[in-house]
Amino acid sequence: MQLKNVIESPCGLRFMLDKLELQSGFARRWLLDSPMMTRAEEIVASYQELHCFTDFLQRVDTLYINTLCHKLCDLKDIRTTIRNLYQGTVLDDIELFEVKHLALLAADVKKLLAQHGMDKAVEIPDLDEVINILDPDGMKIATFYIYDSYNDRLKELRALMRRHPDQQDELLLQAGEIEEEVRTKLSKRLHPFATAIEQAQTALALIDVDVARARQVQDMGLCFPALSQDGTSQYDDMFHPQVQEALASRGRSFQPVSIAYGMEPTLITGANMGGKTVVLKTLTLCQWLFQFGFGIPAAAARIAIKDEIHFCIGDDQSVEKGLSSFAAEMKNIDAVIKASRENKKLLALIDEPARTTNPTEGAALVSALLRVLAGRDMSLVMTTHYDIEPGEARCLRVKGFENGSMDYTLVEVQDGEAPHEALNIAQSLGIDSEWIDQARALLQAAPGKNNHC
Amino acid sequence: MSIVGLEKNTGKTECLKYVLDNLPVERKRIAVTSIGIDGETVDQVTRTQKPEITLREGMYFGTSEMHYRQRRLVSELIDVSDETTSLGRVVTARALTGGKILLSGPSSGSSLKRWMSDMRQHGIDHVIIDGALSRMSSASPAVSQSMILATGAAYSANMTTLVQKTAHVVDLVNLELTSERNVNRLAPLEKGVWFIDTDGALHDLNAMTSLSQEIHFDGVEHCASLYVAGALVGTFLDKVRKHKTLRHAEIVVRDFTKIFVTPQQYRLFVKGGGRVSVLQKSKLIAVTVNPTSPTGYVLDSDLLCNRLSEAIGLPVYDLLKNKECN
Repeated sequence: MQLKNVIESPCGLRFMLDKLELQSGFARRWLLDSPMMTRAEEIVASYQELHCFTDFLQRVDTLYINTLCHKLCDLKDIRTTIRNLYQGTVLDDIELFEVKHLALLAADVKKLLAQHGMDKAVEIPDLDEVINILDPDGMKIATFYIYDSYNDRLKELRALMRRHPDQQDELLLQAGEIEEEVRTKLSKRLHPFATAIEQAQTALALIDVDVARARQVQDMGLCFPALSQDGTSQYDDMFHPQVQEALASRGRSFQPVSIAYGMEPTLITGANMGGKTVVLKTLTLCQWLFQFGFGIPAAAARIAIKDEIHFCIGDDQSVEKGLSSFAAEMKNIDAVIKASRENKKLLALIDEPARTTNPTEGAALVSALLRVLAGRDMSLVMTTHYDIEPGEARCLRVKGFENGSMDYTLVEVQDGEAPHEALNIAQSLGIDSEWIDQARALLQAAPGKNNHC
Repeated sequence: MSIVGLEKNTGKTECLKYVLDNLPVERKRIAVTSIGIDGETVDQVTRTQKPEITLREGMYFGTSEMHYRQRRLVSELIDVSDETTSLGRVVTARALTGGKILLSGPSSGSSLKRWMSDMRQHGIDHVIIDGALSRMSSASPAVSQSMILATGAAYSANMTTLVQKTAHVVDLVNLELTSERNVNRLAPLEKGVWFIDTDGALHDLNAMTSLSQEIHFDGVEHCASLYVAGALVGTFLDKVRKHKTLRHAEIVVRDFTKIFVTPQQYRLFVKGGGRVSVLQKSKLIAVTVNPTSPTGYVLDSDLLCNRLSEAIGLPVYDLLKNKECN
């Protein structure tokens, strides 16, 4: 599982990546290709590194960081050239230029980081020998051609060229043969450094990514998560950066939510517009961010590692694929059930399953799903509007509509009964009273437990 | 500075060659590139012989990876861009000896602008752009400050038509700048059709482009200037010309490369009292002519130079004869 496979997840991961101030296109590609981390050691190491970079950002001034970023801008994708180097192909001038450019850049960045003791945070291999090979005159400038100093005869031929432009074509031909000999020798000498050159390229991309992630931690007020060993995850004052930004643009603020879930199913009920879907989105987002080593949008977080993350939300794309929203949803949840039979640490976040069908069958489907998944070794967080028997599930409820405003706080309740606030909320939205009053009257006339209003 | 040909084989490459041969490379840092594929040894369209571009020692150039590998000079690589064209990435280098090169630079106006700003960082004083066929965009004042226009028998073998058609392009290039106040107000508007009334208030005509069939001039009273942010097309010009109050209004466009009207449409519009002006203007330095068409037809060089110079009020050169006629 690579970042690029989940980047379009409706949880808002794309927004976080777009907000990342990466300097080079290569770093972006490298990040998108990076695999999801599932081992505790690598996640811990990744956050230690990020911590190191956030501290570093606080120590250095703007001028220094701009210089570093400016340098990282120059990082190019030379993977094709490196591949040719591994294979022992004779590199052409453009490829030799790319290698020299990268080697000089790596040396520059290394020197710059060493000023603040950061050269050990990400190890950049020493490419001095590569620079020596490609910079015979010791100019330390990132330009390249087959220098005169590589071969005396070449030097003579070029001098002749300048003196006798009329013989240039013949002289170029002779010089061309010598140049090719030089390239062959250079490529042979560079071949042993292929691994170091590749490592340097990766290290520079990683530094770019680390600086960007550290800046994001500062800019968005993200936190470093603790690693949970017991399968439970806990978030204090969690927020969704994209929703927060959208609200801020309308002059409104985001109310952070605290939530914890463990290995028993968690059922979230609550009024419409109570932010249940946003909670699920944020939980999904946080889990991905955690396993790709980003800062977490919460005041504090303790997160368990998962092998697979399933986010099931009715999305419009499935309709374009020719599936009805119900069919698409059933297939997504089916994948969760199948995955839950395998021996994997699973997190499933399911938003209002079976919402598009009739309430009788819908409630039955949701109750059954809860029973099926309750027995499995997995974490499940599910929202619903249906009144269902919670069984072993923990029930959380959005506090809801109080004194004319929405309180998004989640409180633990004993049963899974859905709150009946739809009419009040509709009224507060200014919906036509002829309609709402009729509905109220119908509810009062009807028998049974629906009779709350 | 960009060099633009009105048609293939109007002598654009000859003109570039002439410019490069005569620039003071000892005193100025010169960079040269092309927009799109150019500099091929044989013209891809008409299969006629084309002169290669000869660079002098010290000149910087931008070309594609493929053409860089075919270079016939010694040069030092300075940069390889991330942007890929159909012939590979754009590479920038400095000529260490004189010699021949095929030019094929950045493929779009915006990437050309990026390349030019990179050149500035290398301390380049002048960038010469070899504009591709029917790509006036490189001559846009948004990209280049000045231009040379190449025309000739390939554009029209009838001398009168050639003079008229060329004069029309020159008229458009030389359109006057609108008022400074208008420039400041209109330059930020990137799309749509707008008008400024005589009191100076700006109104949106709620049309995406001047092509829109739905443009209504109802209520457009006391209009001082009409502004077309995108392309100005002939049908729009006709509509304005036939409107009883708008016909004397000024039409403002971004620059001359945004105008797509026939000489007749433009002439009728101007005759009716209309006026077109621009937000940005590039300086037309000279016009060059190639009196020979690829089909072998040859116009009288002296007569062509004289008639064209008279019509446009600018010096006209036949570079192959290498003489000036004012």
